[in-house]
Amino acid sequence: MKVKYYCKKFIAMLLTLLAVSFFVFAAFEIIPGDPATSILGTNATKESVQALREEMGLNAPFLSRYFSWVLSCCKGDFGISYSYHIPVREMIADKLPITLTMTVLAMLMTMIVSVLLGVFLAKHTRSVWDKCGYVVNQIAMAIPAFFLGILFTYLFGLILKWFTPGGYISYQKNFVGFLGYLIMPSIAIAIPKCAMSVKLLRSSILTEAGKDYVRTAYSRGNSTSQVLYRHVLKNAMIPVITFWGMALADMSAGSIVVEQVFNIPGLGRILLSSISNRDYPVVEAVIVLIAFLVVITNFLVDLLYRKMDHRMQDGEDLK
Amino acid sequence: MKKYKNFNFIMGVILTGLVVLIAIIGCFYTPYDPDAMDAVAKNSGISMDHWMGCDNFGRDIFSRIMEGIRNTFLISLFTVAIGTIVGVLIGAVTGYFGGWLDEILMRINDALFAFPSVLLALVVISLLGTGMFRVTLALGIAFIPSFARIVRSEIKKQVTQDYVESAKLMGAGNFRIIFVHILPNILPVLLSSIMIGFNNAVLAEAGLSYLGIGVQPPDASLGRMLSEAQSFLFSMPWYALFPGTVIVIMVLGFALMAEGITQAQMK
Repeated sequence: MKVKYYCKKFIAMLLTLLAVSFFVFAAFEIIPGDPATSILGTNATKESVQALREEMGLNAPFLSRYFSWVLSCCKGDFGISYSYHIPVREMIADKLPITLTMTVLAMLMTMIVSVLLGVFLAKHTRSVWDKCGYVVNQIAMAIPAFFLGILFTYLFGLILKWFTPGGYISYQKNFVGFLGYLIMPSIAIAIPKCAMSVKLLRSSILTEAGKDYVRTAYSRGNSTSQVLYRHVLKNAMIPVITFWGMALADMSAGSIVVEQVFNIPGLGRILLSSISNRDYPVVEAVIVLIAFLVVITNFLVDLLYRKMDHRMQDGEDLK
Repeated sequence: MKKYKNFNFIMGVILTGLVVLIAIIGCFYTPYDPDAMDAVAKNSGISMDHWMGCDNFGRDIFSRIMEGIRNTFLISLFTVAIGTIVGVLIGAVTGYFGGWLDEILMRINDALFAFPSVLLALVVISLLGTGMFRVTLALGIAFIPSFARIVRSEIKKQVTQDYVESAKLMGAGNFRIIFVHILPNILPVLLSSIMIGFNNAVLAEAGLSYLGIGVQPPDASLGRMLSEAQSFLFSMPWYALFPGTVIVIMVLGFALMAEGITQAQMK
């Protein structure tokens, strides 16, 4: 039965991926303008435009073009950039690790800090810590990541001179230095999400703590920390993990903005310049990549979910 | 209103009230013309004449912030309006009737959900172009899936309740049941998600304008001011600090109100 469940989820994920790619493809299909003309320029003759259209396969029907696009995407071929005339893959390949590292760093920080803080605040409810934590949390949730980035640039870059604002070291040259420059942006992305997940975990622990099984666990002679770490935390983490899945999606999009603050040449910069240049193959590729990342993460979260919550039965989703 | 008498809600109302007041005043009066450039006051600091100083073109920052609040507020308001109206319609129909329409629309919704709203807005902007009206439309479209999802799951919970059955027995039409009987019951949930949606809209608009693909100059926008201020971070840090703080206050106000509503519900 287990295998059946995983298969079902996997097929659902593939369908979502297909739908996502269809949306992106269809969306860029309806914009006015001919790619062949935009590559050759407005001075090109009708014959050469027609020849290029034929070569690019633009004269084929919509669905067949869509499927050939999907197939070539699967092979890692995202077409050729209109404005740079080089394969999109080459443009993205060395930028993707930058954005990915930043997102993963931010995610790790969020996970570690929020579990520590969430458990701490739940342990000390109604204390001064709890009240301070609440206020700090509310404010931290309201600060946009890019404004935090600007504040960090001012405080740590310009006043304390911990890093050079706008500086960046390529990861091919010096990986440690590269990580060093990604730490500040990652913290900026992580803080708002971290605050939300601390709040969620705290309230989730408190809800769980009022349930019957906790009383049972106590009556069997467990100490508070045993009950907390062995019983309560396991169940309290379930909603938090769902939130993390969504947060990862937001973070990958948020990194686009924060990259600009710290002048980091990741996917965000490519996406922005391609949007203003109307370089659609690049825009399509970046968006599809990020969306795929999100879908696959959600799939993994679903699997993890099932592992953690034994009440979940086959084919039934607890929502 | 009386049941919402808790600290969070009141603080939220005060902060939001302040922002709304400034936005309304900003529609009719600003101390200076937000676009007027004064060469003498270029890069000037905080003074009695210019409360928040002037930017690199000699434009009064306080006046620009007032205009920026107004723009951000209007964009977010219409964004949430588009998201809510379309989202409620889709969510209500799919949640109430179910069946194959529900299945198809929710699959589409799932696929759309894979795009973080800023990314979805980026797609729409790259298709439509920039500017205030288009950004509103782009964000509005990007917000539909989340509202549809919330409304659908809430309606699904209500449909099995007895009062819906009895309304059916009394011969009420489906749309009457959805909008007159069920909708008032899910209003508190909807209200708090509208407020959270408003916040996300403020943040998304500020982010897009910061990137230079949201509100276009000469229209003032808080996000755009932040990106302009970044080049002068060392010489005049307050230029970045003021618009940023305003965004935080705006978001905080609505977040606290949403929090207050949820708290009142739990009692």
